Amino acid sequence: MPEHPRSKDSSEWVPFGSHSVPADTKSQLVSAVFDSVADRYDLMNDVMSGGIHRIWKRRLIDELAVRPPMRLLDIAGGTGDLALRARKRFAAHKTEITVCDINVKMLGVGRRRARDQGHLHGINWLCADGEALPLPDRYFDSCTLAFGLRNMTHIERALEEICRVMQPGGRFLCLEFTPDIAPPLRGLYEAYSLRIIPKIGDWLTGDAEAYRYLVESIRRFPQATHVARLLGKAGFAGVRVNALSAGVASLHSAWRV
Amino acid sequence: MSDQPGQKSLKADSKGNKNEPEIDPKLLEMLVCPVTHGPLRYDREKQELISDQAGLAYPVRDGIPIMLSNEARVLSNAKVS
Repeated sequence: MPEHPRSKDSSEWVPFGSHSVPADTKSQLVSAVFDSVADRYDLMNDVMSGGIHRIWKRRLIDELAVRPPMRLLDIAGGTGDLALRARKRFAAHKTEITVCDINVKMLGVGRRRARDQGHLHGINWLCADGEALPLPDRYFDSCTLAFGLRNMTHIERALEEICRVMQPGGRFLCLEFTPDIAPPLRGLYEAYSLRIIPKIGDWLTGDAEAYRYLVESIRRFPQATHVARLLGKAGFAGVRVNALSAGVASLHSAWRV
Repeated sequence: MSDQPGQKSLKADSKGNKNEPEIDPKLLEMLVCPVTHGPLRYDREKQELISDQAGLAYPVRDGIPIMLSNEARVLSNAKVS
């Protein structure tokens, strides 16, 4: 990981992995984590989760398919994994997809992959902060966020921004790991995530520290019920939470009102 | 019309690279300034998206707009509105 960015205002501290950092440095730190793993990020997801993340993402797209989106925004969309799945699924619907991520290297990997798969158009690649989107009000009819909410400095602010750029009646789907696993699985899950994931991360990306951050950031993330409350506060209604794979991940769905 | 001599070193790095992908016109149409939510001007020569209201120029690198205020160039002759 790179050297610590200097804080201009250290009055507010936010969680970053197992420790706290000044709020104005977190986004740079998160971006640095993804800089170092961008090239092998999707491979790493497959190895770490035994391919289960694919099932979760398919589930998310199934939910979206109830009413295929015209304009889809994928926040923290990085390497475009979800966007490309959506692109294939909604090929007949001419869905316009915008992938937004704070890390330009992840976007570069995604765009290259999209081109390799023959998708030259239909996906916009945009580098921006999820808490200050360069997008107009009430523009998108659907928005997705997979494994990105916990990397935001201010979750509330990010949810408000998403709400702002969505049309009333639009659908928001958010996939995230759950910090509170039920007891029978908890011990196993913790041992795996704390001991084994950083080792696999080191082996595949050469950066164990980055994966230690990812694991710790899951442990520090608010519980699914709290996220549901934050969604309500940000302006969403009809919030539903689905526990996936024995509660390892949660899929939140909500409507923009 | 900058009445300030303070020129920042603005070395064009990969200028003239014809293989550089252009920003998608549809994306260009949609984007607003993340600070003011106001309109943006596209400077194709410099590969920048300019927010006159915010006095910031956001770089476009390799066809990808970098809409982060901490990555933006502060315009020296910005009219502060």
